[in-house]
Amino acid sequence: MTALTMPARPKHDAGLRPVPWRRMGWVTWRQHRAALAGVAAFLGALAVYLWLTGLQMHHAEAAYCHPAGSLGCAINFTGRYGETAILVSIALQAVPALIGAFIGGPVLARELETGTFRFAWTQGIGRLRWTVGKLVPLAVAVTAVAGAFTVLFAWYNQPWAAAGYVIPFSVRVFDLLGVAFAAWTLAAFAIGALAGMLIRRAVPAIAATLAVYAGLAFATGLWLRQHYTTPLVTHGTNLPGSAWIINHWYTKGGRLVSQSAISQELRGYHHAPRTQVGPNTFQTVLDPVRYLTQHGYTNWTSYQPASQFWPFQWIEGGWLLALSVLLMAATVWLVRRRAA
Amino acid sequence: MSMNVIEASGLGKRYGSTWALRECMLAIPAGHVAALVGPNGAGKTTLLNLAVGLAEPSAGAVTVLGGYPAGSAAALDGIAFVAQDTPLYQNLPAADMLHLTRNLNRRFDQHYAQARLAELGIPLNRKTGKLSGGQQAQLALTLGLARRPRLLVLDEPVAMLDPLARHDFMATVLAAAADDGVSVVLSSHVLAELERVADYLILLSRGRVQVAGEVEDLLASHRMLTGPAAEADKFAERPVVHVRRGQAQAHLLVRATVDDPVPPGWEAHPVGLEELTLAYLREPGAGALPGPARGRDTQPSEVTR
Amino acid sequence: MDIDKGSTQADRSGGSPAGADGSGTQGGGPRGPGSPIEFRLDAASGVPTYLQLVHQVEHALRLGYLKPGDQLPKVRDVVASLAINPNTVLKAYKELEVKGLAAGRPGQGTFVQATLSQVALPELAGLHKSLLGWLGTADAAGLDQDGIVALFTSALRDFHERRGGMGDRPGAAGAETEGAA
Repeated sequence: MTALTMPARPKHDAGLRPVPWRRMGWVTWRQHRAALAGVAAFLGALAVYLWLTGLQMHHAEAAYCHPAGSLGCAINFTGRYGETAILVSIALQAVPALIGAFIGGPVLARELETGTFRFAWTQGIGRLRWTVGKLVPLAVAVTAVAGAFTVLFAWYNQPWAAAGYVIPFSVRVFDLLGVAFAAWTLAAFAIGALAGMLIRRAVPAIAATLAVYAGLAFATGLWLRQHYTTPLVTHGTNLPGSAWIINHWYTKGGRLVSQSAISQELRGYHHAPRTQVGPNTFQTVLDPVRYLTQHGYTNWTSYQPASQFWPFQWIEGGWLLALSVLLMAATVWLVRRRAA
Repeated sequence: MSMNVIEASGLGKRYGSTWALRECMLAIPAGHVAALVGPNGAGKTTLLNLAVGLAEPSAGAVTVLGGYPAGSAAALDGIAFVAQDTPLYQNLPAADMLHLTRNLNRRFDQHYAQARLAELGIPLNRKTGKLSGGQQAQLALTLGLARRPRLLVLDEPVAMLDPLARHDFMATVLAAAADDGVSVVLSSHVLAELERVADYLILLSRGRVQVAGEVEDLLASHRMLTGPAAEADKFAERPVVHVRRGQAQAHLLVRATVDDPVPPGWEAHPVGLEELTLAYLREPGAGALPGPARGRDTQPSEVTR
Repeated sequence: MDIDKGSTQADRSGGSPAGADGSGTQGGGPRGPGSPIEFRLDAASGVPTYLQLVHQVEHALRLGYLKPGDQLPKVRDVVASLAINPNTVLKAYKELEVKGLAAGRPGQGTFVQATLSQVALPELAGLHKSLLGWLGTADAAGLDQDGIVALFTSALRDFHERRGGMGDRPGAAGAETEGAA
């Protein structure tokens, strides 16, 4: 036996059966069952709350809001539960971020932080199967749970939608409905996993995930979502009530009028004569839109009709899914590459 | 069993602009307990990480178990690694660690693992984090050996253990070597115990392999000559590794065998492993690497000053 | 603090061969399974481990703890109790085989084969006398007691090393001894 020669390599891993996926499933479950249980408890508590208050809201809406817009409706339904509903929908925006960050962030970060990857990645299963066997089941689990939760929220939201209180496109509820909630949860998880791999410590990874998610969610809700399809444009004021108004501008003589010019014009409006209609009440005869129209301005509105809701859901769900897959693939690629 | 458990040629690893390991040539034969020795920062952990596939080489290549690429499925299957500070999942009880290890590997001797833990008195339902340092080390070792590996790699396994735990840990390792023929590569910077334990030595210094060979051959091919300090510089024709001198007396560690003639006025003594290792560590320019032929009558190769 | 159960093995290694009776594993009666002797290790003595084992077997033979047919401790048990390299034990047992004192039976272990030859009394007297002569010379040359011991130890070591790989040596297994130095 000589020291300096290297024998020809044996056939590459001939005959080694891969370790079955099912066994990795147990590993993932065992290591993350506490976190999953925490999420289940959290969502469970939320679900109970939504269920209980939702029952009250449904009852009130059925009792007082047919016909809609009546005073009784305003007092017993909108007035009593309106603020709560708004707060709840705002609070629920955070749920995908929390689930994704607290489940996804620690998956790789904890291993890297504590050094246990030196154990896990030297086992027979190999680091790639190990990573995929962790990310995929967890991703599916959080997505499925979020999807179930959406059904509950849709039910909760139904009286408000029926009363015209909130349109489905509203930035407050759009990403809680349809497929968006599940897709956002999946995306948060994918961001968490990648952040964990890059940052390598659990708590900073969670924080970074929340921050990135917040940025993405705001950017989408406030800017990106409008652009999924070209909005319809109309002049005049005949818009269906459930339409999503995107933008609103004036032209005069075919040319766009700047906002400052409009404000200037409207100063005259504030000096327009008022008519006295009662002992101490004055009513301005015209509303600003009619005033401007009468002065030769054309009022334009761009909007998305309600029928675009589901196409928008699929578009948003689609790109979030693609993003999630991309981020998880990047995570797996980094695991493959990563040195000790 | 004539294969090499770890073979490296031109192996190097760089972190940023620093080379943690350079131009490593190694051929550790199977059936041995090989000690990887060197000061802190010499590159021991880097070398072991490369061998078990936790790191990728920046230069050269390393193969294991007779030619499989490090980190490949066959390599992972046949090598059990216990990293420094024995990382285990602290919140899992020992029974779950067993179950987990079984699920992550093709081979797992459940019976052996449970019997061994019972023998050691490690309760199966106690969380790993609540075990003592010695027990955690034994647990990690048990999990590794239960995989029935062909090679056991240990990175400073006993550094944090008290003497009793250390003894018991090494006894387990060596018994596995005796029983199942598991080859062992372990790194250490505690020299005193090596002579009992190791029969192959690799000395790493500043990222390079300085000494590599069977302990028996190394000890047989070095002698300590003691004689007048004034004559210490006259040894041009004989490779001198290290000189320690007082006013009148000097000790020279030389490459020589017991059959080589001793110059008149000088005494020759055999050298112990610890003394040999320390001498080489003090002479970074010197080296003792196996030449093309093995055996006691090899001319000293690659000994430089 | 938990005490590892493995320490019971380590404790046994603290007994010398003379402790074979008192180790608690055997009574004074017929020998049961296992070896009559237990090895110990003096890590600081400077003597190579395998030689220590060889000497302990020879010593046990001289003192009668080991008789022909007795089994030497299993390699695995020695390794587990002393935490030494298995090849070291194998080397010691090989050395004993070479000396004709022990023989391995495949699948069973290593067994004592012969007693140590006793050097005959006249030979001993002759050796003693020549030693005294040498000591006189050394003393006249100015060596003190420590110097004599150092010189003798060094020469003895060299002698053993030169002899080490040379196979059969005179004086083994009851053969006639040759003349003293």
